[in-house]
Amino acid sequence: MNKNVKVQVTHLTKKFGELLVLNDVSFDVYDGEFLCIVGPTGCGKTTFLNSLTHLYEPTSGEILFKGEKIDLRKHDIAYIFQEYSAMEWLTVKENVRFGLELKKQYKGINEKVKDALELVGLTKFADYYPRQLSASMLQRVVIARAFATQPELLLMDEPYGQLDINLRFRLEDEVVRLCKQTKTTVIFITHNIEEAVYLGDRILVLTNKPTSIKEIVTDELPHPRDIAAPEFVEMRNRITDLIKWW
Amino acid sequence: MSKKNQRARALAYGGGTFLLLLFLWEILVRMTDSQIPFPTPFAVIERFVDMLFHNVGYYYTIVGHVLWSLSRVLAGFCMAAVLGIVLGLTMGWFPYVRAIFMPIFNLLRPIAPLAWIPLAILWFGIGEKYKYFLIFIAAFVPFTLNSYAGATHVDKQLVGAAKMLGANNAQVFFEIVVPAAVPSIFSGAQVALSNSWMTMLAAEMVCATEGIGWIIIAGQAVNDMTQMIAGMLAIGIVGFLLANGMRLLERRCLVWNNQGN
Repeated sequence: MNKNVKVQVTHLTKKFGELLVLNDVSFDVYDGEFLCIVGPTGCGKTTFLNSLTHLYEPTSGEILFKGEKIDLRKHDIAYIFQEYSAMEWLTVKENVRFGLELKKQYKGINEKVKDALELVGLTKFADYYPRQLSASMLQRVVIARAFATQPELLLMDEPYGQLDINLRFRLEDEVVRLCKQTKTTVIFITHNIEEAVYLGDRILVLTNKPTSIKEIVTDELPHPRDIAAPEFVEMRNRITDLIKWW
Repeated sequence: MSKKNQRARALAYGGGTFLLLLFLWEILVRMTDSQIPFPTPFAVIERFVDMLFHNVGYYYTIVGHVLWSLSRVLAGFCMAAVLGIVLGLTMGWFPYVRAIFMPIFNLLRPIAPLAWIPLAILWFGIGEKYKYFLIFIAAFVPFTLNSYAGATHVDKQLVGAAKMLGANNAQVFFEIVVPAAVPSIFSGAQVALSNSWMTMLAAEMVCATEGIGWIIIAGQAVNDMTQMIAGMLAIGIVGFLLANGMRLLERRCLVWNNQGN
């Protein structure tokens, strides 16, 4: 993996009134890596991500994207939420087009949409409306929408929180494959340690509120990972201890 | 029980009750000996069919009168749709628009359209404009309220998703808020349509020389109860058709909203 820094977070702090949520967080995200962020429930993971993307203005500190202040209109960043955010009034195909049209990427738009639908296996459902789809298919629509814009940075906030374990594994494999294939940089937030160990190149462990970084663990197990392998279990236990430990 | 069977049974119950009512009506009319002759259902239907082919008043058959009434409803309803949807959506989404218009709207909203009749006649005379104005008032309130509700209840996740994809404020409004509010606007349109239809009758009864409200008032003037009830029958039929037409339109326009679930 090359070690070019893609995102640089320096001294990020966020207060809501008197409540200190993020306390002086600094780290780098490398180009093309899959970075997982784990932490105890309620530790401010989502605040963290929202500050990252400037949906909230951070109280102090800075986030640089390729050396510039991060800007959603300028930089190609995609975001996948825990809740399904497919537009109900658009078909699957139109939902995928939507992101490209907002970014005015009209060139080769039909091919891009087709490719994205193929990547997530929804080609047959291109003309369906979200209400006609199952939960996992809905989340795949959102994933296709994100990948179609060929983002330089993909942010995922517990994207599989509402899916059953079976679908979860399938979509996790799919996302790892997509990211490696398209060399996308990913920040993936989860409270599920196993998921983090399964997916991440590095795992950033957060402390309880006020949130700061406990440790950054490098996870170099080869993909696809075997959740029953001793190395995997060892890694999982190590991270569990880190989280329990404050 | 199969769905088809269920529907047939519901139809039989509904139709049976209807026929029973007609029968009771007939019996009651025959048994009572009032001074004013009350028409039997058969007489009303006979008159109604007669009105389809012969003029009521000098100029129009009942179809002509219905068309007059519909033209008034359509004019007021459409004006209300345009203004109400624009005002409702912008009040729902932009805090400044809400701050400016909400107090006035809330003050005027409880004033029934009928309360405007005297003022409207003074302002617009007794011609068409006065009727358009009243129907406009009747339809404007539900259009505005439902568009407002639609815009305020937009899923914030979708707004966030659009922003993350790089949408600017105008794009968020037109690409997310407006389409998300459409189902709510349609339910407002249903209410607006039935309000318009009712208000039109009142407007015509106060002053008009044609229209379905006029038929009833004209019947009263000559003590012709059969004409009055036949007119009421027409109101029921057309109102029913309008409501169902609107429902069909909604189903066509909102394919995404009624599939699955």
